[in-house]
Amino acid sequence: MHESVTAFAIATLLLGLGAALVHRWHFPPLAAYLLVGLALGEFLDTESLEPLPSLGLLLLMFSVGLEFGPDRLQQMSGRVLRAGGWDALALPIGVLVGLLAGLDWKGALLLAGVMYVSSSAVIVKLILDLRRAANPESEVVLGVLVFEDLLIAILLVLVQGGTGLSFAVVAGLVGLLWLLLHLGGRWLNQQVQHLSDELVLLLGAALVSGTAILFHTVGASEAVAAFICGVLAAGLGLRERFEQLFGSVRDLGVALFFLTVGAEALGLLDAVTVGVVGLALLALLIKLPLNFKGAQMAGLSQKRSGFAAIYLIPRGEFNLILGAMALQQGYPLVGQVAVLLVLVSIPLGSLLMRFAPSWYDGRRK
Amino acid sequence: MRVEESVLPGVGRKFTVTVRSGDRLVIVIHHSGSRELQYYEKGNPDEPAAVLDLTDEEARELGAILAGVLFTPEAIGDTQAKLAQDTIEWIKLGPGAPCVGRTVAELHEQGAHLLAVLREGEALIPNPPPSLSLNVGDTLVLAGPRGAVERLRKQMIG
Repeated sequence: MHESVTAFAIATLLLGLGAALVHRWHFPPLAAYLLVGLALGEFLDTESLEPLPSLGLLLLMFSVGLEFGPDRLQQMSGRVLRAGGWDALALPIGVLVGLLAGLDWKGALLLAGVMYVSSSAVIVKLILDLRRAANPESEVVLGVLVFEDLLIAILLVLVQGGTGLSFAVVAGLVGLLWLLLHLGGRWLNQQVQHLSDELVLLLGAALVSGTAILFHTVGASEAVAAFICGVLAAGLGLRERFEQLFGSVRDLGVALFFLTVGAEALGLLDAVTVGVVGLALLALLIKLPLNFKGAQMAGLSQKRSGFAAIYLIPRGEFNLILGAMALQQGYPLVGQVAVLLVLVSIPLGSLLMRFAPSWYDGRRK
Repeated sequence: MRVEESVLPGVGRKFTVTVRSGDRLVIVIHHSGSRELQYYEKGNPDEPAAVLDLTDEEARELGAILAGVLFTPEAIGDTQAKLAQDTIEWIKLGPGAPCVGRTVAELHEQGAHLLAVLREGEALIPNPPPSLSLNVGDTLVLAGPRGAVERLRKQMIG
């Protein structure tokens, strides 16, 4: 038997135990995965879990593309987009902070992205697990996330390494897909409807991983590749089908991915300085008033605006992608801020989201 | 009655129904099929007075009851419920209707849906399975855009 099976068995058992533990207190499991990773990092050889964590991230980005693609912008109401505009002010502020911290333009842009982007994957899961979907603030929060994911996908293309070639490949592919969807979308949609679930699953997996490899080869972000594939699949009307087909595979991969992140964070966080902690705190604090104001502009009451600002605390997938990119390009400071933010904001955000309503009601009494 | 529909990315779809009295019902249909309902009283748009979670099956049965499948008051008379551009129609299969003896799967019309089959002496069959074959005396509940429902009705009773 391959030795990776042993690592897999240990990892899934511990993740399961962690999830079961927090489930008792009605907590979403993502924070537990991170903490299990942090606790086990030294003992577990995460390399032997591959390729599941890497695939988990790709499938996660694919799902984000499926659900939070640019076509959603047209379906959103104007008031929700207004909240997204306020939220986006965190980007210029982040660039300014980065420049003041002594980074060059590229580093400052990366830092701004890290400070700006909340995690749609984590927040959607929290909203579902805590049964908040019908609340007024959730609609605004989800709209803001659509906005963020789109801006960050663009930012990722702008700051990626590589040469003009990578830009040409990304632009070429996006253009090609756009043409494909507009000229042959209906026809393709009809063709795919006749394919069996198994074939769609395999073709989808090949498309996502193949595009990721192509992007990686030319120096572009493989996460953006998976995101674009998700947008394409949504454009072909395959949203529900892929959600159903990829759902459980993705959840397994994502659990292992967060475990790996926790495990690898140990080494990175050894060298954390006051500056890193300060920047992470600043990132958490800057977004709160912006999102509060944005939610109010979107017509929410004071209480609901407060909730919306709290919901948007968790950072996740895009932070880790930006962080990895920053490390690669020689900005260890940005990488550390990104990982620290993820580690802190997911447990903190879950806690605040879980208890915000009861705290608020308690204060009122 | 005013119905607003909005998309909740990653979650599903949200319908906000404001009725004449000013009370509001928020219905979220999850991708998973479950439903979340919140009821807001007039004058308090911020705090739901009641919440209710339903499974897909429960929601369908509730919907059929609300649509008057089990019991339609005489006062309504006409067996057509008027929605915005859509319609719900009840049709009873007489002897000689072309669809008698055929299965649900064979009846297909883009946009029109067969919500339920009401069969004398049996429990209501909500969301009928494709393999169900239709008998004389069945009452079918159709819903969808007016034109599509009309075409499906023609297919069924000629």
